[in-house]
Amino acid sequence: MAYSEKVIDHYNNPRNMGSFKKDEPDVGTGIVGAPECGDVMKLQIKVRDNTIVDAKFKTFGCGSAIASSSLATEWLKGKTLEEANQIKNTDIVQELNLPPVKIHCSVLAEDAIKAALNDYKKKAGLQREDTQEGTMASTSSS
Amino acid sequence: MCWHCQSEVTGEYLCGRCIKVQPLSKDLDYFTCMKLPRRLNIDLTQLETTFYELSRAFHPDFFSQKDETEKSISLGNSALLNTAYRTLKDPIRRAEYLVRLEAGAAKDIRANPPADLFEEILELQEDLEEFDALSPESDQERMEALRTKLEEDRRTLEQRLAQLDAALFRKFDEWDALQETEVVTDDIQTKKQRILQELREILSNRTYVRNILADVVQRLS
Repeated sequence: MAYSEKVIDHYNNPRNMGSFKKDEPDVGTGIVGAPECGDVMKLQIKVRDNTIVDAKFKTFGCGSAIASSSLATEWLKGKTLEEANQIKNTDIVQELNLPPVKIHCSVLAEDAIKAALNDYKKKAGLQREDTQEGTMASTSSS
Repeated sequence: MCWHCQSEVTGEYLCGRCIKVQPLSKDLDYFTCMKLPRRLNIDLTQLETTFYELSRAFHPDFFSQKDETEKSISLGNSALLNTAYRTLKDPIRRAEYLVRLEAGAAKDIRANPPADLFEEILELQEDLEEFDALSPESDQERMEALRTKLEEDRRTLEQRLAQLDAALFRKFDEWDALQETEVVTDDIQTKKQRILQELREILSNRTYVRNILADVVQRLS
């Protein structure tokens, strides 16, 4: 199966690869995995005044998973928390032309965004600990 | 109904009247196809016997002189048969298949993400990246230290994989015991659901552990 040009571009030149210190108060961390293929994705956001000022990722998995998270970090920068929450996996599928067998990679990226947002909100006291939101993805224990 | 002579199909794979090969139903599950009960411990000899028996019945070589419809049925049946055999033969794939099959339409038996395991995997991957970046000439000491650590990690992961397998096979027995009960009560139904969930979780953890182990082994070799 051939990867689209955009996937290959993100794979060869991943944007925003790396990590922030996860115990910083302005950092939200989401770590999620795909049980079907064993890929693991870490996505982090740095928030100031309700706006994501920086984002980083580390993904261990296939090219599509790397590209999905790389694209996600690009999109996240400059967005408010509410806008970030609107990013859907289908947007990623469309942008990267992911084939049906790789759709779960985009789902993983959406899960990672949600998990990072929830982790940040929890830290900032914007959300109660026992909320059911985003239980599908793991919020990292901080 | 026979696709050819429209009569009731009495034979198992061939029409009793016109003796044309019949397509296996797309909805046929692999256990039924292989004449096995829906259990996790299966009789591998029985699996093999059925596989060979049906392979002979459907082998495309026997249909090379027949018309296109029969050829294509023989091809389709053989393909289904091969997939069924490969899936059931391997205990892990068998378990994954059973979980999918039992979950049915509500195929969301979703595993809880193992957060601790993810952390470990990410740390290990970072060690591996560092290991890759070291040069054998200038960083010899660091490389040796890291290699020793990775060897240790590898043993730990192998042990963990073995533990997961043991846990998985215990669930095999639990599942099979429930499948033996004649009357399916609500209680049994609940227990089954719980086992499926546990299977799902063990299988998914196993995939993560197996992947990272393979990465570690590959670097060390």
